[in-house]
Amino acid sequence: MRPMALVAALFWVGLFLVLQSPLALATEGHGDPSDQGKVFVTHEGKTLHRAGDGTPPAAKEGAHGKGGHVDLGQILPIWSCIPFACMLLSIALFPLLWPEFWHHHFGKVAAFWSLCLAIPFLIVYKGVALHEILHIILLDYVPFIILLWSLYTVSGGILLRGTLRGTPLVNTGILVIGTLLASWMGTTGAAMLLIRPLLRANKHRKNRTFMVIFFIFLVANIGGSLTPLGDPPLFLGFLHGVRFFWTFKILPHMLLVFLILLSAYFLMDTYFYKKEGLSGKAPEEKREPLRLDGYHNFLFLLGIIGAVLFSGLVDWGQVSTFGIHRAIQDWVRDGLLILMGILSLATTSVRVREDNDFTWFPIIEVAYLFIGIFITMIPCLLILKAGSKGALAALILSVQKPYHYFWVTGALSSFLDNAPTYLTFFNTAIGSFYAGIPESKAVAMLMDENAIYLAAISAGAVFFGACSYIGNAPNFMVRSISEEAGTPMPSFFGYILKYSLVFLIPSFVGVTLVFFLR
Amino acid sequence: MKFEKILFHTQFGPYAFNSLKSLFPLKAVGLEEVVLLFVIPREAVGFVPYGGFLKDEKKEIQEQAKVRFQDWQKTLRKAGIKSRIRIKTGILNACILKTAREEKADLIVTGAKKRTTFEKIYVGSHILDILRRSQVPVLMGKYMVHIESDEGPLIRKNDRIFERPMLATDWSAPSERGLNAIRALKGIVKTAIVTHILDSKLIHAANPSQIKQLEKESLRRLDAYCARLREEAIVAENHLSIGRAVPEILRISRETEATLIVMGRTGKDWIEEYWLGGVSHRIAELSELPVLLVP
Repeated sequence: MRPMALVAALFWVGLFLVLQSPLALATEGHGDPSDQGKVFVTHEGKTLHRAGDGTPPAAKEGAHGKGGHVDLGQILPIWSCIPFACMLLSIALFPLLWPEFWHHHFGKVAAFWSLCLAIPFLIVYKGVALHEILHIILLDYVPFIILLWSLYTVSGGILLRGTLRGTPLVNTGILVIGTLLASWMGTTGAAMLLIRPLLRANKHRKNRTFMVIFFIFLVANIGGSLTPLGDPPLFLGFLHGVRFFWTFKILPHMLLVFLILLSAYFLMDTYFYKKEGLSGKAPEEKREPLRLDGYHNFLFLLGIIGAVLFSGLVDWGQVSTFGIHRAIQDWVRDGLLILMGILSLATTSVRVREDNDFTWFPIIEVAYLFIGIFITMIPCLLILKAGSKGALAALILSVQKPYHYFWVTGALSSFLDNAPTYLTFFNTAIGSFYAGIPESKAVAMLMDENAIYLAAISAGAVFFGACSYIGNAPNFMVRSISEEAGTPMPSFFGYILKYSLVFLIPSFVGVTLVFFLR
Repeated sequence: MKFEKILFHTQFGPYAFNSLKSLFPLKAVGLEEVVLLFVIPREAVGFVPYGGFLKDEKKEIQEQAKVRFQDWQKTLRKAGIKSRIRIKTGILNACILKTAREEKADLIVTGAKKRTTFEKIYVGSHILDILRRSQVPVLMGKYMVHIESDEGPLIRKNDRIFERPMLATDWSAPSERGLNAIRALKGIVKTAIVTHILDSKLIHAANPSQIKQLEKESLRRLDAYCARLREEAIVAENHLSIGRAVPEILRISRETEATLIVMGRTGKDWIEEYWLGGVSHRIAELSELPVLLVP
């Protein structure tokens, strides 16, 4: 229990610091708004005003899009990002150093870091803080988790049965199909659909580890780069105004990496296949014809695609929920996604899901962890949105070129989950180019005027998610399934040293040279 | 019906071994082999968030289960019963049902699990799911049961479960197979009880002569059931009752001092099954006695 005591102590120290900070002291004196350079809070009206900061009112409103309260990002200190950093470090380090503890207590850890941020945040900024928390939950977390749930549920109802023999050609075919599907059924969905057939097909093979690694590279990550359904970061971008088909702009980048990796895979598989002396040998086991059970779930997948597309095309106005304005079509979309999941559950045989080893546990884990991530990342996002006026101005000023965005987003996505990393640098770009402009306008301008930057962030977040087990959620699911099936998987560092550095990083250097070096 | 091969699933509850021993009398009616099954729930060792699979933990759990089973095997050997150990990782229900199919088991024996209110309303425990889906009879063991009674909390030990089985019949084909299950237990059954509950809704809608006719017909059928039991030299008695099926079956089982309730699996529509469970499932859940459900 010592580490827990340590983090508890850290929390209370943090709370104390917040309450003792000049900002907090200033909030106590909100009776005299004429004092220059101080911060005034009127709790009832949810307005926080910083006198004399020189920021035009439109800019203040713009940083939040709507709502009429000031830019917290300009006044939040950099250490308010500590819970976010700790949350991400927990995800990165606990599975590595203390997996048993993490497995049984990850929910408590996520709750702890959330409270570390939420309690002082609410105490100091009261209504404004509550607004920010509700804002991120309703506008980001809820749709994010609903999409993941629906994709996971629907794809979990599709089962590929039958005997496949793991030859280099068949395995490469599986990787190609998985990569093509990933953008439409999510990297998690595609990975869950195909990992077990791949493992079954290669049961007789001695060297299977590299197959699973390339599967993680292509199906669980890079394949998901073309649509907001593919990978969670891109869906977050979609929620913030990136057009559904805009991400097709990174098709050339994706194709380059895909071709390099697929070629490398085919050569390796062919080499090992010959070395294992398997070519030409007939399989001894009884062959079962290939068939797809639960294929009607593809209809629900189409429903999901349709629902997401529709929400990006129509404008039915907004409704206020707990004071947060949200587009009606977004609520409708979420309802439709839930409906698709329920229809899938109701119409798919329990046997198919069981044979698919379908369990709710991974999606519950993601739900628990991401509520922690989203809440703790509030200060970080606000500061980044404030651009050069925020406490992370140095970061914004140092990340300027497209390849900076690609590599910095990527490097962090390798070791932190790529969804929050994407959002962080998405906001960095907005803060850098369009600080003070309402988000909807800023994102539209970013897509049109500075598309290369958004492409760099998108490609960086998605591609580099493959660099380690913790870069993207499906990575650990694939690892878990493979290890359970008896395929030895490299350690955390083994994965990076033997595979990511050798295959991924050179591919990304190629992408940089071709697309981002300007 | 025969009980030559039993799949005994356990998650090593406090009375699991006693529960296993309570099955030993089946040796007298042909029990040859017990397959001991332990399932490591996948979420206990797999899908460590951003981590992977807890290989060492799985190995440890596996070894613990193996050692305990090996200890049990000594007792089984002494009783002249063959045994095999199966330890699996996966989804509990799926593993139990799949192993039963693989092993061609004649009977699945599994323990009852306390359910939360949420589970009761929306999900149903794993055992009810197995009862719903199994293709072979399922015995829901309840070795030690805590009962809330008017005299305060009581503890009931079900260690001689085959002495007084009670068949609750609705005249369906599964009930008929339930009767065959009791017939297959000849030699270890002291007295069998056969009961039928006339649904009170049916009685409300009928006039006195129709009610009399219903009672007469039910008694005739009960007698026929008892006669078939007596053919196997099993002492049998019948009980007819009117009311709601679940409370009446529970009442009769107590009054007749039954030691096991045998029922055919009732086939209600899926919504009722899902949300409430059929009569057989409700009995399995509520009774303090072990329940044998025959599909």
